Amino acid sequence: MGLKKLFITLILSLALLPVTPVMAESTTVGDISKQLICQCGCNMVLSNCSHAECAVRDAMTALIEQKLAQGQSEEEIIQFFVAQYGEQVLASPPKRGFNLVAWVLPFAAILGGGGVIYIALKAWVRRGRQSQTSALAEAEEGDEEYQRQLEQELEEFTGRGFR
Amino acid sequence: MADIGYIALLLALVASIYSAIAFIYGVRGNHRGLTDSARNSLLAVCGLLSISVAALIYALVTHDFQIEYVASYTSRDLSLTYLLSALWAGNDGSLLFWAWLLSLCAAVVVLQKRDIGKELMPYASSIIMVTQAFFLILLLFVSNPFYKLAFVPAQGMGLNPLLENPGMFFHPPILLVGYVGFTIPFAFAMAALLTRRLGDDWIIAIRRWTLMSWLFLGVGNLIGAWWAYVELGWGGYWAWDPVENASFMPWLVATAFLHSIMMQRRRRMLKVWNMVLIILTFSLTIFGTFLTRSGVLSSVHTFAESPLLGYLFLAFIGVTLFGSLGLLYYRSGELKGEAEMESLVSRESTFLLNNLLLVGAAFAIFLGTIFPVISEAVRGVKISVGPPFFNQVNGPIFLAIILLTGICALIGWRRASIKNLVRNFLWPLVAALMLGIALFLLGIREWYALVAFLVCGFVLSTIVYEWFRGTRARHRMRAENYLKAFLGLIAANRPRYGGYIVHIAIILIAIGVVGSSFYNVEKEAALMPGESMTINDYTLTYDNLDRYETESKLVVTATLSVYNQGKLIGALIPEKYFHRTYEQPVTEVAIRSTLIEDLYVILIGWDEDGTTAFKVLVNPLVSWIWIGGVVFVLGGLFAFWPERRKLPAPRKDGATRE
Repeated sequence: MGLKKLFITLILSLALLPVTPVMAESTTVGDISKQLICQCGCNMVLSNCSHAECAVRDAMTALIEQKLAQGQSEEEIIQFFVAQYGEQVLASPPKRGFNLVAWVLPFAAILGGGGVIYIALKAWVRRGRQSQTSALAEAEEGDEEYQRQLEQELEEFTGRGFR
Repeated sequence: MADIGYIALLLALVASIYSAIAFIYGVRGNHRGLTDSARNSLLAVCGLLSISVAALIYALVTHDFQIEYVASYTSRDLSLTYLLSALWAGNDGSLLFWAWLLSLCAAVVVLQKRDIGKELMPYASSIIMVTQAFFLILLLFVSNPFYKLAFVPAQGMGLNPLLENPGMFFHPPILLVGYVGFTIPFAFAMAALLTRRLGDDWIIAIRRWTLMSWLFLGVGNLIGAWWAYVELGWGGYWAWDPVENASFMPWLVATAFLHSIMMQRRRRMLKVWNMVLIILTFSLTIFGTFLTRSGVLSSVHTFAESPLLGYLFLAFIGVTLFGSLGLLYYRSGELKGEAEMESLVSRESTFLLNNLLLVGAAFAIFLGTIFPVISEAVRGVKISVGPPFFNQVNGPIFLAIILLTGICALIGWRRASIKNLVRNFLWPLVAALMLGIALFLLGIREWYALVAFLVCGFVLSTIVYEWFRGTRARHRMRAENYLKAFLGLIAANRPRYGGYIVHIAIILIAIGVVGSSFYNVEKEAALMPGESMTINDYTLTYDNLDRYETESKLVVTATLSVYNQGKLIGALIPEKYFHRTYEQPVTEVAIRSTLIEDLYVILIGWDEDGTTAFKVLVNPLVSWIWIGGVVFVLGGLFAFWPERRKLPAPRKDGATRE
């Protein structure tokens, strides 16, 4: 049951963690340029364009600056760039429509795999209990017991060049 | 020279095909002579490829610009180091280098004296030779590095200046050794399936090959990260670029494989799963090569686009994947594990979870990498999948993997009782919570970072605690002093303790990644000489702009005096290179690195009136990543290093040949 709890906690944390908005006091050029891809062909995030001199990067950055100065919101500015260049200007696909496949599938796959593992483990434990009716003595695990177990593990592992 | 190289390749192709066939016929028909000749021709392939590589190196060093490859990637002013590294600077040369590495690995496989897996060797060698033949066909008919131009250019195009960095000498070849090395475990796995020797032999035979390739792939990526950090000039070390992803995926799956083969060895479980993992690892290495060379996805790493090469790689991946999975399916009846477990809470379960998460992470990266292609096919809309996606999706998965690393070590094999769980978890948890409180008081309030640091602290303390308990037990049982007990402990099972050292390395890297991604500060400023800017505790005063010329480029330097809380701590000199042969200028950043943070200064540009623009970043904890990298190598080597043989293997014949 310990494992079950552990498992559920793990899965829950997996499901909850991805939605972590990063709070910022006021939007800066950096905040926005992190969400856009430079359209010069370098395929990098705007602030990371690998070219030392890049007219496209400078133009895009200047545009963000200008629109921020005009008082436009982050949302508006990003929408402007999407209208201009299409969805590919966004550094990550928006979480809606078909794009959800990319966002959700990894976690769904892990959950599914977790389910399979859980079922398999249950079956293996059942088989193990049947074949091994003599319950292992739950000895008080003192140093002696620990050392014995450790030595045994080290020994078991040593066989046949598999170190 | 070009002809010698090309003819050697041609002969190598013939020899590799002969070897692949002769190995199978020889071992099937029990013809000793035939297997011996197969073995010899495998060695001949290695010799011929060495000649071919030597020919290309000779051409590079002697500026034989009639060879297109030499003219495209070198010039007369290039130093010897970069002339040599031009061997892997371009598509054709790096394919030749790949083929050569594979032939070296193959030679080691047949020359190795082995007691275990002897029966697998001919089949495995045959499979390696098939792969070898594939690469030779590419070299001969699609990307010939010895292609001769109809004229002799007076000067070559030179190396892309971005590649002029020590990283160029280490990153590509080390990464390629990792890529190529995984062919060997794959070949042995297939040999085991073909021969129905499905016991542990193949796993024993390939454990160190896998470890080596995994180590090289990991180190190659870390060097690549360092290179990007110091050279590309955007203050980052990992961009989730398709090609970075391509080398990260096989590493993740191989990590899962290295863990799950322990389960097969100990508990005779997961036999089919291990096969799947090694097939996936190998296919992903080929997929990585495909991504780099086909031009399907754009990336800083891509070589010249060649659709034909892309199709050939795709076909090879298809054949490998379906062939090997088909064979696995065919044999799956004989691969039934003898899985039995005593308890749900056991180290076995944590290993399974670890496997799930590692493969899950690889899957998430795979999906993100190819999603632009999927989106275009399904919706007809081009999209980009960049760092925000990968960080958000993989962040939690990696955190869970690291957490499991700690939990795993505290749970015994087979079963764990509540009593020893409490006993084992108590102190590491207390230590982690104390760390968490301390960090909170120090002002770490970003909860994601706090959780990540807490997890790292927890795992680190589990390892220390485990070592401490082992040492203490040995100290008491054997009456050795603590140091001797500790050294005796870790020497008793190097793979186990090497593994722990690697875990520590991963945690150091994780701390660096979390610190630098959550707490980096960035500032741009345009300064006149004499003016200052401040960022965090640093004040930077712009002194002057200077320039000097070298044979191949004009260098512009800006000097800044750096003060920390008012105290002068030194000067930083970011530079900009203008190469004569290259249109794009190259930025050379200036970095002042400490254990706590890096001060990272980029020279952006300057106006005629003397205003100079800088971008300055403070990246906390970045050096922990590089320290983690060094620890990673040490741990890996510790686990890899051969054991002193307790009993020298008896010589069968007194002769010294072998």
